[in-house]
Amino acid sequence: MSAPVLNYRTRGWLRMSIEKQDTLLKMAVLSLAAVLSFSCRLFSVLRFESVIHEFDPYFNYRTTKFLAEEGFYSFHNWFDDRAWYPLGRIIGGTIYPGLMVTSAAIYHILNWLNITVDVRNVCVFLAPFFSSLTTLVTYHLAKELKGPGAGLVAAVMIAIVPGYISRSVAGSYDNEGIAIFCMLLTYYMWIKAVKTGTLFWSTMSALAYFYMVSSWGGYVFLINIIPLHVLTLMITGRFSHRVYVAYSTLYVIGTILSMQISFVGFQPVSTSEHMGAFGVFGLCQIHAFVDYVRSHLNKTQFDVLFRAVISTVAFGGVLILVVLTALGKIAPWTGRFYSLLDPSYAKNNIPIIASVSEHQPTAWSSFYFDLQMLTFMFPVGLYFCFSKLTDENIFIILYGVLSIYFAGVMVRLMLVLAPVMCILSGIAVSALLSTYMKQIDDVKADKKKAKFEGNYFMRSEIATLFVCIMSVFLVMYTLHCTWVTSEAYSSPSIVLSARGHDGSRIIFDDFREAYYWLRHNTPEDAKVMSWWDYGYQITAMANRTILVDNNTWNNTHISRVGQAMASTEDKAYEIMRELDVDYVLVIFGGLTGYSSDDINKFLWMVRIGGSTDKGAHIKEHDYYTAAGEFRVDKEGSPTLLNCLMYKMCYYRFGQVYTEGGKPPGYDRVRNVEIGNKDFELDVLEEAYTTEHWIVRIYKVKDLPNRGA
Amino acid sequence: MQATALFLLISCLFIVHTVIQCKKELTLSERVQQLSDAAVKKPVLRFNGDKFRQYVKGTPRNYSTIVMFTALAPSRQCGICRHAHDEFQLVANSWRYSQGFSNKLFFALVDFDEGPDVFQSLRLNSAPVFMHFPAKGKPKKVDTLDIQRVGFAAENIARWVAERTDIQIRVFRPPNYSGLLALVVLLALVVGLLYLRKNNLDFLYNKTTWALAALAFTFAMTSGQMWNHIRGPPFLQKTQSGNIAYIHGSSQGQFIVETYIVAMLNAAVVLGMILMTEAASKRDDVKKRKIYAIIGLGLVAFFFSLSLSIFRSKAHGYPYSFLLK
Repeated sequence: MSAPVLNYRTRGWLRMSIEKQDTLLKMAVLSLAAVLSFSCRLFSVLRFESVIHEFDPYFNYRTTKFLAEEGFYSFHNWFDDRAWYPLGRIIGGTIYPGLMVTSAAIYHILNWLNITVDVRNVCVFLAPFFSSLTTLVTYHLAKELKGPGAGLVAAVMIAIVPGYISRSVAGSYDNEGIAIFCMLLTYYMWIKAVKTGTLFWSTMSALAYFYMVSSWGGYVFLINIIPLHVLTLMITGRFSHRVYVAYSTLYVIGTILSMQISFVGFQPVSTSEHMGAFGVFGLCQIHAFVDYVRSHLNKTQFDVLFRAVISTVAFGGVLILVVLTALGKIAPWTGRFYSLLDPSYAKNNIPIIASVSEHQPTAWSSFYFDLQMLTFMFPVGLYFCFSKLTDENIFIILYGVLSIYFAGVMVRLMLVLAPVMCILSGIAVSALLSTYMKQIDDVKADKKKAKFEGNYFMRSEIATLFVCIMSVFLVMYTLHCTWVTSEAYSSPSIVLSARGHDGSRIIFDDFREAYYWLRHNTPEDAKVMSWWDYGYQITAMANRTILVDNNTWNNTHISRVGQAMASTEDKAYEIMRELDVDYVLVIFGGLTGYSSDDINKFLWMVRIGGSTDKGAHIKEHDYYTAAGEFRVDKEGSPTLLNCLMYKMCYYRFGQVYTEGGKPPGYDRVRNVEIGNKDFELDVLEEAYTTEHWIVRIYKVKDLPNRGA
Repeated sequence: MQATALFLLISCLFIVHTVIQCKKELTLSERVQQLSDAAVKKPVLRFNGDKFRQYVKGTPRNYSTIVMFTALAPSRQCGICRHAHDEFQLVANSWRYSQGFSNKLFFALVDFDEGPDVFQSLRLNSAPVFMHFPAKGKPKKVDTLDIQRVGFAAENIARWVAERTDIQIRVFRPPNYSGLLALVVLLALVVGLLYLRKNNLDFLYNKTTWALAALAFTFAMTSGQMWNHIRGPPFLQKTQSGNIAYIHGSSQGQFIVETYIVAMLNAAVVLGMILMTEAASKRDDVKKRKIYAIIGLGLVAFFFSLSLSIFRSKAHGYPYSFLLK
């Protein structure tokens, strides 16, 4: 990548010295990469508008707004009475505040500079902004590992890699958006610290680590991989004073700082995930002490001492382990132990993990979809790192191999893999290109010398061909990334779109329509009952109190809502009176064909509703037909056709024609005519139904007058 | 007992049996005592026709029985029965060694070859079937486990039992000792090897070994072996038209053979790249380097386009391809 720089010298290009040209070129490539990474995340903003996406980001947005308006202390002490009515939720101590603090700081700085931006716009554009910063950090990290050429390639690659874009498009305002930046920043500082062995860089890496801890739970990966690096350096005999200084400083300062985050608290000194780091810290001290003793004793004395100490410690360790196991204090041989070794353990034994789509394993096509050519440039990069082992290369190898394991187990962790894929591929591409570019140049420059150096026939042609193929690969990569970003990762899911018959785009903006209706037409203290998926959105947009939300901390409360939805009207009315519900909100896709609606989620409501004591009367098999099918047409089970959820979704639907040639009440998601058409609601009245019927809101009637 | 009467007419053998049975008609407490004693020794009781009538259908009862009707004889060739039997055994064992073990619930098994009359009397014509015989009354429809829908994993059986009898059984799946054993053997081998070569441990520091291991691991992961391990897909599949499908049609799934193909493609591209590097960096035979370079280039170009077109066949609507369609 940096090779062409040399050519300009002869032309006297702009009369700059080579160093200046070099810097200019690097700056140009880097700033273009940063701009690119920002702009290719804007698909959804351009197609729809500047909105926050999905579910969790709405919660983050709401807390950010609170922080920006009320200040840090009231944010920290915030007890939220808008969610989990009547329980409420303590916000300050149960979240990672890094994301909110960052955007609130940006908001205040911008306003101080008299650039008036809305908090929402800061939130929407935070993730793209941080991915621009990530490209810069990636450049520096890869530069430390291989050289500026590799850095530039890696930076350009990470700017558009879909595995990272999937979590950082404009509007997906979530922890991961800034966490990848923090993670790479920590790695960069750590590599610097290991290379220089100075307190300055070690402290900087501790600070970067603190930022990482404050923003994402994935910091546990960091606090395990850095000690692992140190351990590997010890085993390979590369342990030095530099590593000692770097790690001791990072561990001590980093741990103390991380305990300042109230959500993390005392975990760094009490839980097993952090014990590895602690153990390596101890080993570091022992290793350094042994080195010190060795330098003061002669060899035979040292050997005797060393053996004596080692055998005593080993004996003592085994004895303690046996005694503690016998006393039942620790149990290293239980199922938990096996779950670390065997990833399918979780699938077989913990159904809640198996059911969440983010916890699915990764098929090869997902790897290809999210990384394309990186899947085979990555091994080449590994090969290059192995062929020239250094302290920092060992780190990147460890990071690569570990993260590819985690990404294989859980598709969500592709996010952690993507940066190292880019770095290693950057190393590979830059090494290959610089070798072959040189060959093209060389042959032209000194053709006579060629024979003496043992150059073969057609060398320059092969080199040219190779460079061409490499360029084709890179172009394909770019096309692939753009296509994936535009097709798969750019829908806000709060505003839906579909293609009409004539190919035009139809926008369904029902969610916001309903939420704003709630905001303007219901009393300030109204309590809204809905399934937990929509909790964050309702509190953030409608500003009304809800019963359950996406922070699913209280299963019995969610179960109570599930029971209400799955019961008949009378039973549900009792539950709704008990929970003090004023409005009920359901999502219905039968008119538009929106398939992730509440009827399709209904079996989960039944299962969760029936999972607690109070809901023991709700049995899943009552909602199936005799043949064991889940159907909403005439064949469907009567329990299903008379439960509250069914009635709320299909109220008045029996009179609506949805598709030509089909009877009224034809459900376009399930593709059947509904079974129970003519019914009236006794305890509810329809309050509002959105344009495309996606959101339906009902008001819970008050108790009837006595005698009426 | 009506069914028994039917058999009385048919076979005189059964008359004898029934007479014997009548002779030793036991009281409730005796039966419970016998069942409990047997259950302590063997969690799943094996019943033939007589025992089934005596213990499971005999009245009065104050205990529930979960009976699995099955055909375990190898001649019956019921593969699924064997599987179901293991799971059932697991539930029974979990119950036997649980804190709440009592004489309110027993697990039993009736093999078709030992009690075909039972199968006839219950009008069962398939196996395996799980039935619950409650303490009072006859089994209703819901007392038969719906294998089609629920499946017969031990956890599901336990949940069904809990639903029918209000007895909670926490299924304890013993860790798979075969894996552990393999690990121990492997460790022993490694330690033994290290011990034998203790004077010459340089091979541990040989980075080529480690590099090869890392590359192999990477190929295994990027080709989705972990997905195979967790999901257990079929090796390959016959399509409806009779052809054999090596590649799963959608990007949601994959076959085992498909992942091998993908791993091979990736490895071929990487091999090509490495050959190119070697060709450029070596300082020896000119001819060899040229061959290396050409082979490397060919591998890279061809296998890249092949993997692109395989991906294209899976991801519908993917517009790009290179060299190959």
